[in-house]
Amino acid sequence: MLNITRRRGERIVVGDDVFVSVLEVSGQTVRLGIEAPRSVRVYREEIWLEVKRENEAAAQAADISLPDLPAPLNSGAGQAPPPGTAVNQTPPPADR
Amino acid sequence: MAMTIDSPRFGSVEIDPASVIEFPDGLIGLGGSRYALLTTAPGNPIVWLHCIDDPSISLPVTEPSRYFSDYRVELTDDDADRLGLDDATPVDVYVTVVAASEPSGFTANQRAPILVRDGRGHQIINQAPGCDLRAPLFAEVLARQPGPAA
Repeated sequence: MLNITRRRGERIVVGDDVFVSVLEVSGQTVRLGIEAPRSVRVYREEIWLEVKRENEAAAQAADISLPDLPAPLNSGAGQAPPPGTAVNQTPPPADR
Repeated sequence: MAMTIDSPRFGSVEIDPASVIEFPDGLIGLGGSRYALLTTAPGNPIVWLHCIDDPSISLPVTEPSRYFSDYRVELTDDDADRLGLDDATPVDVYVTVVAASEPSGFTANQRAPILVRDGRGHQIINQAPGCDLRAPLFAEVLARQPGPAA
């Protein structure tokens, strides 16, 4: 890992278009400003990690064919049903 | 021309190219750039967001309005800009669902909804207060059901 010491008001550059500024240092807290192209998403690490874990947990689902999932609050009256290509619930032959 | 994906979950699935949703940034931590919504039963509010580029990725999602009566999405100004959205823009909203063996164990991630508009999707961090990373999906529905006479 690259270690860089910066003072308040100084910046680092990542690649050619990501600029990270040290805006304020106060005790244990550092306030950073990040300028990056729109295509670069910037998250607080803990939030990114939480969402990543939930996405992975969702993708682990074995099957949602439980017979009695409770009905939703509204049955979609007045709103289009979720679009979707119909598929069979039956999993493919177990060759994997 | 229809495309066919070989899904570990559903077998061979033919996808109408018009139904493909482009995710320029993928899903957070999962990636993938093209997804399609698959449904196992017409009318089932829980549908599958299935990756086309990597068919091993598929996850259940649902429209939060069907289960949470007061759910709201607030974008950061940056996200609103990036996505070209404002309050007046109609957009489809989905939340990811973590399934469980019992309905009471199902949860939805209210913190990171997926917004879909004009064939493009983005998973964003919701700035609205009170959003739960693991909101019990059926809590409100079950609370409204008449319980056994006490």
